Amino acid sequence: MLGFLEKVTDYTKEAFDAAKYLIEGLSVTFDHMRRRPVTVQYPYEKLIPSERYRGRIHYEFDKCIACEVCVRVCPINLPVVDWVMNKETKKKELRNYSIDFGACIFCGNCVEYCPTNCLSMTEEYELAAFDRHSLNYDNVALGRLPTSVTSDPSVRPLKELAYLPKGVMDPHELPANKKRAGKLPSQIIKEIQKENTQDELNNNSEDIFPNKINSNN
Amino acid sequence: MNSGIDLEMSFTQGVQNLGLSHELAHLLWIPLPMLLVLVSAVIGVLVTVWLERKISAAAQQRIGPEYAGALGILQPMADGLKLLVKEDIIPARADNVLFTVGPILVLVPVILSWLIVPFGQNLLISNVGIGIFLWIALSSIQPIGLLMSGYSSNNKYSLLGGLRAAAQSISYEIPLALAVLAIVMMSNSLSTVDIVEQQNTAGFLSWNIWRQPVGFIIFWICALAECERLPFDLPEAEEELVAGYQTEYAGMKFALFYLAGYINLVLSALLVSVLYLGGWGFPISIDWFSSLIGLSIDNPLVQIFAASLGIVMTILKAYLLVFLAILLRWTTPRVRIDQLLDLGWKFLLPISLVNLLVTASLKLAFPMTFGG
Repeated sequence: MLGFLEKVTDYTKEAFDAAKYLIEGLSVTFDHMRRRPVTVQYPYEKLIPSERYRGRIHYEFDKCIACEVCVRVCPINLPVVDWVMNKETKKKELRNYSIDFGACIFCGNCVEYCPTNCLSMTEEYELAAFDRHSLNYDNVALGRLPTSVTSDPSVRPLKELAYLPKGVMDPHELPANKKRAGKLPSQIIKEIQKENTQDELNNNSEDIFPNKINSNN
Repeated sequence: MNSGIDLEMSFTQGVQNLGLSHELAHLLWIPLPMLLVLVSAVIGVLVTVWLERKISAAAQQRIGPEYAGALGILQPMADGLKLLVKEDIIPARADNVLFTVGPILVLVPVILSWLIVPFGQNLLISNVGIGIFLWIALSSIQPIGLLMSGYSSNNKYSLLGGLRAAAQSISYEIPLALAVLAIVMMSNSLSTVDIVEQQNTAGFLSWNIWRQPVGFIIFWICALAECERLPFDLPEAEEELVAGYQTEYAGMKFALFYLAGYINLVLSALLVSVLYLGGWGFPISIDWFSSLIGLSIDNPLVQIFAASLGIVMTILKAYLLVFLAILLRWTTPRVRIDQLLDLGWKFLLPISLVNLLVTASLKLAFPMTFGG
């Protein structure tokens, strides 16, 4: 008899707990109703892509030496490099270059390995097309620069969350002259260089830091 | 107790004065409230759809529909128009007749149930004596339609959804009916008008929710389950069943399901407000209020004011409950089918039986407060 009563009390307690948690949950959703929307109203407002955004690839025809390194480092050998050997000058003559963005995964390997820096990644991500074949960009299409979000008069550019000042969650009501949380990449490089020179003064060792940072002033 | 505004009587009298017979006047009157209720039900659905979208958006920190009309008010109209002009597809190996009858059988009982929803003393289509019982009987036709459309679609998801809908409706109908029975026991009548009237003796203190708090919760849970709203939307659980019994439906037939779902939600909210929250009653008694101003309750001005206040109060209470349902949708996770049946049979059924017994004994012990 006592066992049964215990069961009943446990059961009632569970039911009351469930009701309590339900009310707690409801209060959370209710609280969310008074918060401002955090969504970006896309065609009218756009987020500014970050500096290292890997968007559509830009290509400079004149810089290219047709070495085909981009083809070799591409996971699916995507870039098509159309060149012929000029017998007289004994040099490669580039005729066409194309990348199919319907198949590209935007890994950036080609950009990374290009010896003449003729490939680069842009901030363009609006690649919607009615026909997938129109995503196969030739060297002319690859040479176009995208419209920057910040320079487009019909678009209100908004900062991404990581670029907002500390404590600000909504890019719409961004207080003016307030900088993002943390340091800028350029500030970090400057600091490293400062330390670097101090270290050089201290023990004249140069191989602690890679040369790239040293040469980047 | 005064009878309030009787539109039917004034209408028939007016027509009779024009020289028509009493029967003809009555015949002319009959379609009017039907049309009015049909229109108000559809408008109620449009408002509910808009509220659902806007409140859902607010709960998720979005904006929601914005460009169709001011604040997206016309969005549900646009949705309806889209469904209206969409191609009506019947799957190749589906059963044509059952596939078409299914959605109709779901929608018709729901609309028919509006027959008994009172917005005022005489502001309902028909004050049938079996009122609330009629609603329970009608609502048990619905699972047949759901099962029908699920079975005839010739699709495994539809069939599973239909079966779930039937299982859910049948198991939640019993505690629902028992909760209603406790109310009926207290008010000694099945008529919705009597149930509301008996609650409006002393403002909000005489509402049934104070005497039937457990019944109120049971009824609300069961109503949500009957409407297939979250957390009980397993018949159309999109993560598992695509869209349940609606999977193969498109165009106007899908719109019928959509409409039935929302009409059912509004209807349930209205019935909760009728059964537990004093229906058209204002939190403060109108009789007391009119005596305070010094006007007789029979004064036409007071009558019109009271009637419009009654309609507003009914709708306000119903929409507060709709709001709660929408909020619950974004708060609670979906229950599993075994949890659903557990809750229905092992929790709600015994609790509602105990509730009924306690109500009965309280009625015997305190006939004054519990309607002896």
